[in-house]
Amino acid sequence: MVRTRMVDPVLYGASLALSLGGFLMVYAVRHPGDSPGPVGYGVLVLLAVPALHVALVRRGFRGDGLLLPVTQTLVGLGLVELYRLQPGSLVRQATWALLGLGGGWVAYCAARAVDRLSRYRYLYALSALVLLVSALVFGVERGGSRQWLDLGFASFQPSEVVKVCLVLFLASYLAEHHRLLALRPPQEVERRILLPVAAVLGASLLILTVQRDLGGALLYLSIVLGMVYVGTGRVEYVAAGALAFAAGAGVCAVLFPHVRIRLEVWVDPWRDLAGSGYQLGQALFALASGGLAGTGLGLGYPELIPAVHTDLVFAAIGEELGYAGALGVILLYMILVVRGFRIALRARRAFSRLLAAGVSLVLAAQTLLILGGSLRLVPLTGIPMPFVSYGGSAMVSNFVLLGLLMGISHHEEVPHGRRT
Amino acid sequence: MTGRIRRLAGFLLALFVLQALGAAYWQVWMGPRLAQDPRNPRLLLAEERVERGALLDRNLLPLARTRMEARRAVREYPTGSLFAHLVGYRHPRLGKAGLEAALDGILLGAAERTPWEEWRDRALGRRPRGFDVVLTVDQEIQKAAAQVLEGRRGAVVVLDPRDGALLAMASAPSFDPNQLERDWAVLRRDPTSPLLNRATHGLYPPGSTFKVVTMAAALSRKAAKPDTRFFCPGFVLVRGRPILDFGGQAHGPITLREALVWSCNVVFVHVGLRVGGASLREFAAAFGLGTSPDFELPSEAGHLPDPEEVAGDGVAQLSFGQGSLLVTPLQMALLTAVVARGGVRLRPYVVAQVRAGDGQVVERYRPKPGERILVEEVAGSLRDTMVEVVARGTGRAAALPGVAVAGKTGTATAPGGAPHAWFIGFAPAERPRVVVAVVVERGGTGGQVAAPMAREVLRRALERVR
Repeated sequence: MVRTRMVDPVLYGASLALSLGGFLMVYAVRHPGDSPGPVGYGVLVLLAVPALHVALVRRGFRGDGLLLPVTQTLVGLGLVELYRLQPGSLVRQATWALLGLGGGWVAYCAARAVDRLSRYRYLYALSALVLLVSALVFGVERGGSRQWLDLGFASFQPSEVVKVCLVLFLASYLAEHHRLLALRPPQEVERRILLPVAAVLGASLLILTVQRDLGGALLYLSIVLGMVYVGTGRVEYVAAGALAFAAGAGVCAVLFPHVRIRLEVWVDPWRDLAGSGYQLGQALFALASGGLAGTGLGLGYPELIPAVHTDLVFAAIGEELGYAGALGVILLYMILVVRGFRIALRARRAFSRLLAAGVSLVLAAQTLLILGGSLRLVPLTGIPMPFVSYGGSAMVSNFVLLGLLMGISHHEEVPHGRRT
Repeated sequence: MTGRIRRLAGFLLALFVLQALGAAYWQVWMGPRLAQDPRNPRLLLAEERVERGALLDRNLLPLARTRMEARRAVREYPTGSLFAHLVGYRHPRLGKAGLEAALDGILLGAAERTPWEEWRDRALGRRPRGFDVVLTVDQEIQKAAAQVLEGRRGAVVVLDPRDGALLAMASAPSFDPNQLERDWAVLRRDPTSPLLNRATHGLYPPGSTFKVVTMAAALSRKAAKPDTRFFCPGFVLVRGRPILDFGGQAHGPITLREALVWSCNVVFVHVGLRVGGASLREFAAAFGLGTSPDFELPSEAGHLPDPEEVAGDGVAQLSFGQGSLLVTPLQMALLTAVVARGGVRLRPYVVAQVRAGDGQVVERYRPKPGERILVEEVAGSLRDTMVEVVARGTGRAAALPGVAVAGKTGTATAPGGAPHAWFIGFAPAERPRVVVAVVVERGGTGGQVAAPMAREVLRRALERVR
């Protein structure tokens, strides 16, 4: 593909230049005179992305050429923001990105053997279940929700793996049953067939109540409903699921004060600005102070926002890079999602289609939930902003999703002229 | 399945567009409003990036300055409680007061910097410096004012009548702006209100010091001359109720001049009735009562009685400074300055110069021409009579050897306690350099309590002001 080869150096180069410029600005403003070592390491990690691209091309990669440079830009932005917000964690996070690239590579190779990948359906379901239960039993509480497993050397968020397993399971399950589910009226569909889907739905409600993880629950719900819709086209399943969740969430809001507070803050963050509304209020002040062009990297006060580097990086971007920067970030995610769905549309097998659509859906849903939370469009949750927020589990799992997507785009591309 | 994937993608993309609109709402539409919201902590923090300028007295002694302490800017007040009310304070949590609040823009350098300039300063490790402000006040005169107020509640205002420069402004009890954080709760609860600047915000009836205004109105309106004779039986009946002279003393036959020297209420009631409530009220307003003076520090307007209240014999109480009339010590000092200045009302000021960090003068105050409200002859008569007050009348305790002091005492009765003691005056009478107004809350009589305080302040001020 001659087109890709000409444009690639420009894409990677521009992305790298943006990150370098960001690092330079933050270094000059926030850490002049400090050792530039961590920055150098971060840049090296970013350079691994075009290196991976070269390796792929050498092996005859003919899939989507935009996914990697866009992801590189997002990772670069995330490292620059982390350097600005919590410089001590830069090396750690860059290492996670590197591990993520490795995980993505593995996923990319695995996606080659699509048929085998779809065979381990119940392994995915089982691991998801085990991980969820282990989080419930052994989980440690952090920031009000019990969704962390402490491994000693690092803590890890099972929900990040669960989300990958869930997509794989649903893609595989729906690929087998989608015709049946799509054609028969619900009363004739055997209970056994609908049961796993309903189980996932129930699990997400359980997560909401026991694990206090509203974000995770919303994410699983959107994955299930979106994929059931793509697989079956049955709007009534989607509507029933959404209604069941809404009813469950309503009951939870009555029963559990932590869910209620989240919802109250969402409705009116100004009422208790010094207390429960503080985080969202500060995020909105940050966005507003940024205005159109931003205060300039390193010149705002994003550190006023609690948990800014994990939950509210978007507000920090909005404050220091302005609406221009925020819009740029939204556009980058839109490119990822559009390309993902394009891959789904071009894939031949039902499983690949469902998987690509599911992966795009997960990326989109995570982004929409956390961006929407920062912008008060939905209640604020602790969902990491894909590739940008600080957090190793999310970084690796999102790279795995990206690897799956790239693998499908490479192996499952419909040759020209033979599209269905 | 293709169509459904397309529809799902379209749905998600629409949600992304919604996010873009949401960001535009908060950042562009709501941005300016929310960014300037007083609850936004960024406003106070932004100030910490500028080195706040210093406040200096007229001899360049620092009254407020910024010191770096472990990479944090700390505002300190080397004179402690001495200038607490005038200089005020600036505290990250407790806010701002006094000149620290009023001159905020100048002290922070006022000029808006572009993001590029700010970025460059940060990158080069430079902290831009705000302007220094040189005030007209004199630390020694301020000390004299604070000393005479020691252990009392009240205020002293000292002005230079030649150009309206504020020489001192003290209010007691005071507080230490360096220990604000520690003392805040106590200061807020203290029933004597130490945080209140009584010079600008204390409201008192002026009592007999207001007779200067009544006499000015009478002379200007030709309702009486200094030599016009009245008779004082010790009381006067107004609306069937007697108004007594202080101590119930009868002065007998007495001229207007002598009535001021001995502060005879009865004569001034008669004079007030001759002048009429409307005219007297007009003169009080011309002297600046009832309006906030045009001054760098915000201050109270006080209260002038309504026209209906002083109609007919309702003027009686106003004639000797009682009734609903309320004034601030700053207003009384300005009123006195009009007599000292020969009938011209000047704008008071406290900012002499604005300087850059390197000492270069950026701006210098130019006194504005005053407004004549009394003809010279009337002002001269008032001055001569006020000299008599100190020479042989109620204000003898304010007399200084070798210097002609002009003044007027006041003992303002207020419900529920001892009277407020007043003294207003200036010196030297022939070429006034210093004007003083003293009030002591619930202090007793003006002649016994306030006059000796004024003498001490005048003595020290005349040494300092040439």
